[in-house]
Amino acid sequence: MTDPFDVLGIEPRFRLDLESVGARHRDLSRALHPDRYVGRPANERRLALSRAIEVNQAFGIVRDPVRRAQALLARHGVSVPEGSEPPAEPTFLMRMLELREELAALVATKDVSALERFIERAEADEAGAVEALAAGFAELERRAEPPPEITGELVRRLGELRYYRRLLGEARAARDEIE
Amino acid sequence: MLLDIFDPKAPPRPIGIDLGTTHSIVATVRDGRPVPLTTCDGTALLPSVVYYSKEGGILVGRAAKAHATREPERTIQSAKRFMGRGGADPETKRPGAYRFAVPETEDEAKVVRFDLGWTRPSPVEVSAEILKSLRRSALDQLRTVGGVVITVPAYFDDAQRQATRDAGRLAGLEVLRLLNEPTAAALAYGLEKKRNGLFVVYDLGGGTFDVTVLRLEDGVFQVQSTGGDSALGGDDMDRAIAERMLAELAPQDARTPELVSLVLELAREAKHVLTERETVELDVHAPGAAPRRFTLSRSEFEALIEPLIERTQRACRRALRDADVSPADVDGVILVGGATRVPRVRRAVKELFGKEPLADIDPDLVVAYGAAVQADLLAKASDEVLLLDVLPLSLGIETMGGGVDRILPRNTTIPAGARSTFTTYADNQTGFEIHVVQGERELARDCRSLARFSLKGIPPMPAGMARLEVSFDVDENGLLHVTAMERTTGRSQTVEVRPSYGLSDEEVERMLIEALDHGEEDLEARRLADARVEAERIALATRKGLASDADLLTSEERAAIDRALAELETAARTATAARPIELAIDALAAATHEFAGRRMNRAIASAIAGKAVSDVEQSVAHAAGIEAHLASKGAR
Repeated sequence: MTDPFDVLGIEPRFRLDLESVGARHRDLSRALHPDRYVGRPANERRLALSRAIEVNQAFGIVRDPVRRAQALLARHGVSVPEGSEPPAEPTFLMRMLELREELAALVATKDVSALERFIERAEADEAGAVEALAAGFAELERRAEPPPEITGELVRRLGELRYYRRLLGEARAARDEIE
Repeated sequence: MLLDIFDPKAPPRPIGIDLGTTHSIVATVRDGRPVPLTTCDGTALLPSVVYYSKEGGILVGRAAKAHATREPERTIQSAKRFMGRGGADPETKRPGAYRFAVPETEDEAKVVRFDLGWTRPSPVEVSAEILKSLRRSALDQLRTVGGVVITVPAYFDDAQRQATRDAGRLAGLEVLRLLNEPTAAALAYGLEKKRNGLFVVYDLGGGTFDVTVLRLEDGVFQVQSTGGDSALGGDDMDRAIAERMLAELAPQDARTPELVSLVLELAREAKHVLTERETVELDVHAPGAAPRRFTLSRSEFEALIEPLIERTQRACRRALRDADVSPADVDGVILVGGATRVPRVRRAVKELFGKEPLADIDPDLVVAYGAAVQADLLAKASDEVLLLDVLPLSLGIETMGGGVDRILPRNTTIPAGARSTFTTYADNQTGFEIHVVQGERELARDCRSLARFSLKGIPPMPAGMARLEVSFDVDENGLLHVTAMERTTGRSQTVEVRPSYGLSDEEVERMLIEALDHGEEDLEARRLADARVEAERIALATRKGLASDADLLTSEERAAIDRALAELETAARTATAARPIELAIDALAAATHEFAGRRMNRAIASAIAGKAVSDVEQSVAHAAGIEAHLASKGAR
């Protein structure tokens, strides 16, 4: 698929001002949304629809740190679909295992407020993982020819972020279920 | 009112319709402001009730409602609850007055039908009767009616949306757009207030509850999240009261449809009275029984509806979480739907958001107003306002184990699209079945089954070799379009796949022809008129495009477009049937295809590179980072 940064006409960086990306998304939507093509021939409407979809997809990717990182890595020829990252480090895995056990116990007690606190902590962990990724990308963006160690490290950090993401997803789903 | 002198050359007037569970409203924009049109009942609100007499007559509105007590099974109320639903749906199985036709085939079971003897209308056909009545009223007052925007609950799934659009087409309306009710309400408010911020629309209607979080910025309404319950509304409050009365009046097996209907009507009145007063007395005169008197206090009523209130609160909290905002971030709460008049509901809103909700526009009319405003904007091709809605429920595909592979999560901005690649699992497999579901549950059988698509014509090859790319596009109306492409053979063949529950163009045409027997207007004459309108519109759009962007064309291309345009105009003037005009429209579309693409690129370039002078002030602060970046790279 087309590079989301190119679709939105923005610089491919990890640290972004999401406000201005949002403004860009609105401007492009104003130009391409099917509502602007009412009364035009059917083929023109179809074209507008597919380009509006492309713009929305690009915004969805750029807005989300995980998918943004994936798209940036793809620009460096590194493809990392979910589940393809190398195994995480043992200490990290141990920590995830503990968190999972804690979550399972909380779900069993159906204690919503304890679950809320767990989610808050996991959100902070997730934010930390995003920050680590951002720092790594800053390093990558400084170099004209980034060595493979840098992208390798980024893939690892992306993997960790995904772990937190999944954990959070499960915790939130459990909370919605109990509520 | 001023004399409205009929100008035969006046352009068709766009209208907006709120097709509600209990009431429907048609509105239009007059002198820049939305106004309701008078329905056949002489009021703005038309009860969404259709009565089918034994002899074959059809009544709509108050006249139909008059039959509800004596012939409840022939008087269809709340048809909207059954839109897009099958006979096995829990909604259909709820106790009610209606007799449903027993389906004879599996296909028939997908759409519920009311068994009324001489006719077995589906909810789509019942809704079409309501829309037809509104269309006639609009025609009486406006002389000529253009495109229509019909509102749907944000929570409506694809089947329900498809059914609504089909009802509009069956009523002979040109459906420009399906618009989510909360977004419509925000449009009605936002235009008047001209204020940026985060808003919540709390919409408790007769049969559905929607909560939508949206942000208004520089004329763009962007829905952040939407949630709710498509089977929760004011009717449930009536039912809660009625249940309590029925428990004392009659055992389960002695509840005749007549008695249930009578008690429901009393319950509804009680609910209305209790918005103003502390207690209400209800006298039940059931046929063949001694009169009974009930007393209901407001606090008793509030206790009865507390479970319903809790469900709305839960949905609100979830929508806020999905939008990643807290109640304190919300700048205003807009109330929609008659049931928001209930004091307990207003208190609940205030408790949750910590502020008095906005209700300066009549909550019964606000949605129709928004629909009229949107219809007007679309007809004018205005760029003042843009509505960016979201997919209300996740779309997924059933996996081999009965799980769900989520392809588009809920709250994705629409239009949206996703692609999935499938492969064959058996040697020489030539067909595929894809089961598309909508919902948040883990197992496919717990989600709403949208459609089973059959893909055929894969060339025989070993298992795992064929590559089938399936695209799922959700358009601005929230309607799903599925196309499949076979990639292995190199020749990409596109197949448009239709879901099984929608009506095809042919079916709509056939049903319209059948309607002719009931004394409707001439179908071919209407097709011709429609083709002429379409021709005029496309010619106009093409001329506008040529006026602004002719520099994008070579002289040969320009000549080809001019020729096609002249041919279309001749056809529109001289043709006595629709077909030649339709062909000329297609020819012009083909001639302008490249041009359209280039114009779109230009629109994108100008959206990125800079904007009309009047807009610059507002967005320059926002876009400073990007502008600086573009400047550093030099002009594009």
